[in-house]
Amino acid sequence: MKLLNASWWKVLCVIFLMYTVIAGFLVEVPHLPILHETIRNLYFHVCMWFSMMFIFTVSLVYSIKYLMKPEEDSDIIASEGVNTGIIFALLGLITGSLWAKYTWGAWWINDPKLNGAAITVLSYFAYVVLRSSIDDEQKKARISAVYNVFAYVMMLVFVMIYPRLSGVDSLHPGNGGNPGFNAYALDYHMRIVFYPAVIGWVLLSAWIASINIRLERIKRNNHN
Amino acid sequence: MRHELRSRRSWLAILLYIASTVYITYLAFQHDLDPVTWNALFWILIIFISMFAASGSFAGREGEMLYIYTLVSPRKFIMARLLYNGIFMLLVSIAAYIGYSFFAGNPVGNIVLFMASMLLAVWGISSLLTMAFAISGKGGGGFTLMAVISFPLLVPLLITAQHVSSISMQAGGDNYVGSLAALFALDAIIAALCYLLFPYLWRD
Repeated sequence: MKLLNASWWKVLCVIFLMYTVIAGFLVEVPHLPILHETIRNLYFHVCMWFSMMFIFTVSLVYSIKYLMKPEEDSDIIASEGVNTGIIFALLGLITGSLWAKYTWGAWWINDPKLNGAAITVLSYFAYVVLRSSIDDEQKKARISAVYNVFAYVMMLVFVMIYPRLSGVDSLHPGNGGNPGFNAYALDYHMRIVFYPAVIGWVLLSAWIASINIRLERIKRNNHN
Repeated sequence: MRHELRSRRSWLAILLYIASTVYITYLAFQHDLDPVTWNALFWILIIFISMFAASGSFAGREGEMLYIYTLVSPRKFIMARLLYNGIFMLLVSIAAYIGYSFFAGNPVGNIVLFMASMLLAVWGISSLLTMAFAISGKGGGGFTLMAVISFPLLVPLLITAQHVSSISMQAGGDNYVGSLAALFALDAIIAALCYLLFPYLWRD
């Protein structure tokens, strides 16, 4: 917990994100047909999903920890992790949707990756609904931890298996012959912005989560 | 553990439920169904029937559960439950398939493949719903909570199953082994999760 209260990584986060926003809009990018300048969305959209996965994984770890040894603090970290992850998931959907409007011409299409994202968001909303429907604190913590493990594994399996099914093709960059993230990352200019951007956004997600966690601790202390 | 078999009432209820839902879909579509619609409708039917069938597994048995609680370990209990619900749902889905093809026609070309996908999918659906019912039952929520929890988690199974069954309707079924393996893997993962997580729902 010492690490969470240290301030050096928050400074790092701010520096990286300022760099991302400034360099992300100004640095030269490869000129590809259709994509043009929308390729800059890589610095924002992809990072949102990275941050989301990071924070959901932290939440999963603390849910398992809670099941092994029921401590209130593990529950706080797990549940606030989910709440923070949902913010990033929604931002990921919004940035992706805007991008899709300009390149594919539609806000939403029936695509394996998009379905995966939708399922993820829905199953974590279900987590929130489940929590709000149970009154007893310990019961709430235990049952939602069980659900969290269940949902995380199902989500992971879905995201991994589904795009590999025969006959399922995706328009999403990185699939179906479209140039993906690896092809862009080969470009030197994009790489020097993208990697700091990922670190910056992940740090931001950790920061938001840590504030949420501390807030929740204070709330529960006042309550008791 | 197979004391469920005694409740014949639920068998009759489920058969009636299948008959009426299938008949309603038949009335709603006056003309012949093309294979794509047939497939979509069939899986929607399966979801509703399995929701109905699985709802009986934990509801209204608080006293009985307390009695079982003293007898067996939670792992044994959930395995027996999965086995029973799985077999029950297999029979129910076969009945639904027969009823559905009686009214709406049967566009399936490769019956063996279709049956295999149906059996694997239904097995997965029934174990997932069993777990979802256990969670929502402990949560004190009713059917709504159950639906909210289970639908997002059901989608992977349904999409994979629908994919395989749509292959089974084309003449030359190509490359279905991977999808069947995916279904089987999903089933195994769900069963493993139930086995690992159910004890935490059990003690109270």
